Amino acid sequence: MAKKVGIPRGLFYYQYYPLWKTFFEELGAEIVVSDFTNKQILDSGVKSCVDEACLPVKLFYGHVLNLKDKVDYLFIPRFTSISKGEYICPKFGGLPDMIRHSLKELPEIIDTEVNLRKSKKNAFKAAVDVGNYFSSDRHVIKSAYQKALNSYREFRSNVRKGVLPGDILSKRRGVLNKSSDETVNIAIIGHVYNLYDNYMNMDMIYKLRSMGVNITTIEMLDGKVIDEKNQMLPKKMFWNFGRKAVGGAFHIMEREDIDGIIYLMSFGCGVDSFVCDLIERKVRNTKDIPFTVLTIDEHSGEAGMNTRLEAFIDMIRWRNRNEADVPAYG
Amino acid sequence: MGETGYYLGIDVGSVSTNLVIIDEEDKVLEKLYIRTSGQPINALRNGMKTLTNRLNTNNIHIKGVGTTGSGRQLASVILGADIVKNEITTHAVAAQKMVPGVKTILEIGGQDSKIIVLRNGVIYDFAMNTVCAAGTGSFLDRQASRLEIPIEEFGGYALRSTSPVRIAGRCAVFAESDMIHKQQTGHSTEDIINGLCEALVRNYLNNLAKSKEILEPIVFQGGVAANVGIVAAFERALGKKIVIPKYHDVMGAFGAALIAKEEMTRKNTKSNFYGFGTTENEYKAKSVECQDCSNMCEVIEISANSEVIARWGDRCGKWSELDGSSEQVG
Repeated sequence: MAKKVGIPRGLFYYQYYPLWKTFFEELGAEIVVSDFTNKQILDSGVKSCVDEACLPVKLFYGHVLNLKDKVDYLFIPRFTSISKGEYICPKFGGLPDMIRHSLKELPEIIDTEVNLRKSKKNAFKAAVDVGNYFSSDRHVIKSAYQKALNSYREFRSNVRKGVLPGDILSKRRGVLNKSSDETVNIAIIGHVYNLYDNYMNMDMIYKLRSMGVNITTIEMLDGKVIDEKNQMLPKKMFWNFGRKAVGGAFHIMEREDIDGIIYLMSFGCGVDSFVCDLIERKVRNTKDIPFTVLTIDEHSGEAGMNTRLEAFIDMIRWRNRNEADVPAYG
Repeated sequence: MGETGYYLGIDVGSVSTNLVIIDEEDKVLEKLYIRTSGQPINALRNGMKTLTNRLNTNNIHIKGVGTTGSGRQLASVILGADIVKNEITTHAVAAQKMVPGVKTILEIGGQDSKIIVLRNGVIYDFAMNTVCAAGTGSFLDRQASRLEIPIEEFGGYALRSTSPVRIAGRCAVFAESDMIHKQQTGHSTEDIINGLCEALVRNYLNNLAKSKEILEPIVFQGGVAANVGIVAAFERALGKKIVIPKYHDVMGAFGAALIAKEEMTRKNTKSNFYGFGTTENEYKAKSVECQDCSNMCEVIEISANSEVIARWGDRCGKWSELDGSSEQVG
């Protein structure tokens, strides 16, 4: 019988799932993904995780608990770095240890280190280590890895063509409401696990679409554009997310087709705290484009989120209409 | 036309529920400020009853109703609103009516504080407090009742302060313990209250007004604008004059009425308003945790004379889409 590999639907699931899925399936493993985030997952995560962690990490705990009795392995790789010369949040590096030491009766954890800080080639090394759980044949692993990379490239290429990763990975998407006033184009900047987890962000994407908002995210942008815009910074940004967010935002603020920028922030996120500020200052000093920050945490009352979204879109429509010299508000 | 029409604006906020009736010339016919006391339906009922007693409502033809505030959906289903608007837009519309050419709006309500920046008569930028409600009206309320000072006199104490006392303003819990420490060491109540006013203003300016250009005319509205201590602290901190509009405590409701008037004039349709007597109905709100899936949404059901008139809170839409035949919640 095929071994079951559990993939918690949290954190880098939203970035790498197509890669992982093909890789494990090519190796003959069966994949089990935890349920879409729900109240039970959130509650159990918050209860079992240390208080200081951010909500995305707490949620990840909930997803692990949701899976643990259904699988033979839990796939929780130790991400130290995902790109040359760059770091990611240290909680990713400590994640397998945090999980192992605070949750009981877990299946075996595949916690292979992924560290591409020195070289991209280490990705293959990590793949071999993971592959060894299922095959001793290096050729089989290599071929699975190649196919996985192809799946990942296909996913990335769809996203770059304008498909939101959330539309590929999740069931609830909502459609752009074309009947409500004129379409507004908004760019949202934030971590993938905040943007595409509909429960976590209180259906933000769905709500915006029903207000007639077309959404662009930094995942849709070309990597070259992002790198080029990073040259505007006085020194190198060594955080992977920071580089993408900053480069993406600097590019977006110069685009004529974007009406406004929303920064979706996790309460208590260290990287967000300075990346957001850096972007906000630059945007406000250079360009007259509406910018707002939304902070999410454990709230389940949606009034705050709704008011901010509605007001932001109202403001943009009001401004756009005013530029077209039609006096009206609301 | 011919018959004089009136427009009703309602702002159901966390601390107060406000009602404003305006005429075709945007003149305020009647305004009410009622404590919500955690029971928005009761507050609405009291409000409508008071209006009926004060005015000869038989002769008042309501041509449009607008609701705003965090309870705007609730007010909308109970009264039959024509427009439901977020409080940023309504506050901005009202401030512009009262103080034409206003460039900055400071608004502090019960749970929310906002800054709205207007340029050329259009909302240009805004910010609301993030996850924490420190420094809003309900915190001042709590401190006033702890010190057994009526909230109306609270600001007057601050003005009688003779020596500055520094209170921590970043967090309501820290502010309270700081106040208690100062009181135990013998500082006068006047000085402590003044210190609190300064702390709130400092926090507001550092947090909300960060990276916003505060230009005159500056309008200060919301319930807290009645607090002369806060007003004085704002003027000291900004070194600028602050205008308190005549209807500062009901600006949201006033703005909702103005938008309702504009919208109804434009559409030229009949109002959805159920009439002043509608609150005589027996309203019930019940909250049930839906058990049909693991989201376990907290569904709210509002019924009038035991007939269900609205439901919300579900993510899937099975409860909120009222088709008459749907089963009862719970």
